[in-house]
Amino acid sequence: MIDTTVLRENIASFLRQPVAKITDERLLSDLVTQSFMLVEMIIELQEELGIRLVQEDLKDVRTVGDLVRVIERRSAK
Amino acid sequence: MLDENELWVLSFYRTSEISGALFFGNLAKSMKPGSIQRDMTKHFSDEAMHAWHWSSCIEKLGAQALKLTEAYQDQYVAAAGMPVNLMEVLAITQVFEKRVINQYARHSRIPGILQEVKETLATIMADESWHIEWVQAALKEMEKEYGADLIVQTLKRFRQADEEVYQKTIKEHEARVLHLTDRYRAGGKK
Repeated sequence: MIDTTVLRENIASFLRQPVAKITDERLLSDLVTQSFMLVEMIIELQEELGIRLVQEDLKDVRTVGDLVRVIERRSAK
Repeated sequence: MLDENELWVLSFYRTSEISGALFFGNLAKSMKPGSIQRDMTKHFSDEAMHAWHWSSCIEKLGAQALKLTEAYQDQYVAAAGMPVNLMEVLAITQVFEKRVINQYARHSRIPGILQEVKETLATIMADESWHIEWVQAALKEMEKEYGADLIVQTLKRFRQADEEVYQKTIKEHEARVLHLTDRYRAGGKK
């Protein structure tokens, strides 16, 4: 299982934002202004955590909390 | 000399090359060392050089590149959805690189094209062929992890999106493209 605190720290580090701002409710579209920046972040997290996400996983991801849950689920498989 | 439409088209190429370099540069930094990271590093270095070639070409023709905000590939995500893993990133890259090489080849065939532009296109196209080759080899290697069928489906999805984006771009900038063709046909006198 992954440590979700570390995951949030990774997201904060990528976005160069304080981890306190990376709350579950935050919309990813508010945090990431360019679409390709979100791609970079998703790939970086997968490389870091050694997991693979597929389209289905991210279909309904809108917030930080959604993303954390999807990654948690994938890393448990 | 470049007119306003030609300057815009060459600046658009330049912006797309810069966007490609930055995207792959950031991605290469986050990847684990290996053959994909190695080739991606050369890829982003090539794209940065291409932007330099366009800047130089524009300057040789007595102008300064325009600062454009949107690159061609920015529209891909809206059309095809976000690539969510490395295989999808390489698939979209493969489709994009083929589009670039086709567009550059079409441009270089326009009768009466300026010599500086023709030479720049030829220089860049030589690199683009290698980009297609390394990405193809990497996708082949990824068949073990993702399965050949999924890779084929993903390429198909991005090809459809690319066609949509290309048609939209051509439509949006039809006047510039037609003007370019007409100007070259008239021997650069228009």
